Amino acid sequence: MLKTALLTLLSLAIAVGVGGGSVWYALQAQDGVGAIRIGQWTAFPEIGTQGADPYSKARVAREGVLALGKAEGLSFIAERDAAGEPLRRECAYTIEGGFPTARFWTLYAADQSLGVVDTGKPRLAALQSYQVLRQPDNAVTIAVGNRPAPGNWLLTDGFGKMYFVLTFYDTPIASSTGLSDVALPSIVKVGCNA
Amino acid sequence: MRRLFHAVLLGLIGAGIVHIVVLMLVPDFSERDAWSRLAMASDLYRMTRLDAEAGGAPVVKSVDPLFYAAACRFDLAEGLVRIKAPGHVPFWSVSVYDRNGHNFYSFNDHTATGGVLDTVVLTPAQMIDVRRELPEELQGAIFVEAPIEEGIFVIRAFVPDDSWKPIVSRFLEQSSCELQEY
Repeated sequence: MLKTALLTLLSLAIAVGVGGGSVWYALQAQDGVGAIRIGQWTAFPEIGTQGADPYSKARVAREGVLALGKAEGLSFIAERDAAGEPLRRECAYTIEGGFPTARFWTLYAADQSLGVVDTGKPRLAALQSYQVLRQPDNAVTIAVGNRPAPGNWLLTDGFGKMYFVLTFYDTPIASSTGLSDVALPSIVKVGCNA
Repeated sequence: MRRLFHAVLLGLIGAGIVHIVVLMLVPDFSERDAWSRLAMASDLYRMTRLDAEAGGAPVVKSVDPLFYAAACRFDLAEGLVRIKAPGHVPFWSVSVYDRNGHNFYSFNDHTATGGVLDTVVLTPAQMIDVRRELPEELQGAIFVEAPIEEGIFVIRAFVPDDSWKPIVSRFLEQSSCELQEY
């Protein structure tokens, strides 16, 4: 009798523990269902719409996000560099390459909660396309780090995990048919402060 | 031993069911969704700044640091809602969300007449009524038909650099979100 009760309890514990825990884990992960990967960049074109998958819907409700509409823009998030290493705030990177068609784009360095990193200086850890210098072929090279650099410089500072968020506004690529042949810039690590 | 194996197997099947049920219930029971956060910050038909610039912690996680944003909640059961913002900024875009934070309509300043934000959100039934006799002052407005009752309207405006901050701030502060009688 006691054995049956214990086994029932075990079943219930596994059901509730594993079931609830797996939902929590799935919602924590940056990567997920409905993601589109281009190089190191990930986007969720369907997030925040009625057509989104249940995981995206749960994430929207839990984090209180109001996702960008299709006529507004599309955000890409990078958490790794070209070598597959996680991005770190203490490291310097070069972001280089062409950008797809858009009215303008913004790029910023984000912390775990995807807010802009706090640099402790008046300069924001963000750049936008109207202020960048371009190569003759319209490509852009951006130096990322806590040391000033000539050309385009994105200031970051501090320690720990970092993300890059690249958002294109008023862009045809937001309609998902255009996403297949889009090329995004690469992220190459230059070095780290130990 | 066989009974233990049986119990674990049953538990794992149960875990699958719990996983699906919890996932489906999260949107309905979340108290941290955008609607609840806005409800804590302000009333219906009141434009509320979403970015931290206005003082205090941001109400809703406003994504882009180079953007200012404002939102208002509305209830179409009470009548149609008109959103206006005077002035010109480098870029603005707006989105209409339902109660659960699902985006179902968005447009930007290239869509609007002369780049001026003047829009009316209404249900299809209200649209039929308004069409019958279009009031003079609604002539230039963009009509957004929304098959919902409660919803959120968000305006986002681009701040290219520091010099634009006061202008974009004023644009959002002078924006209005009004219940209209018809």
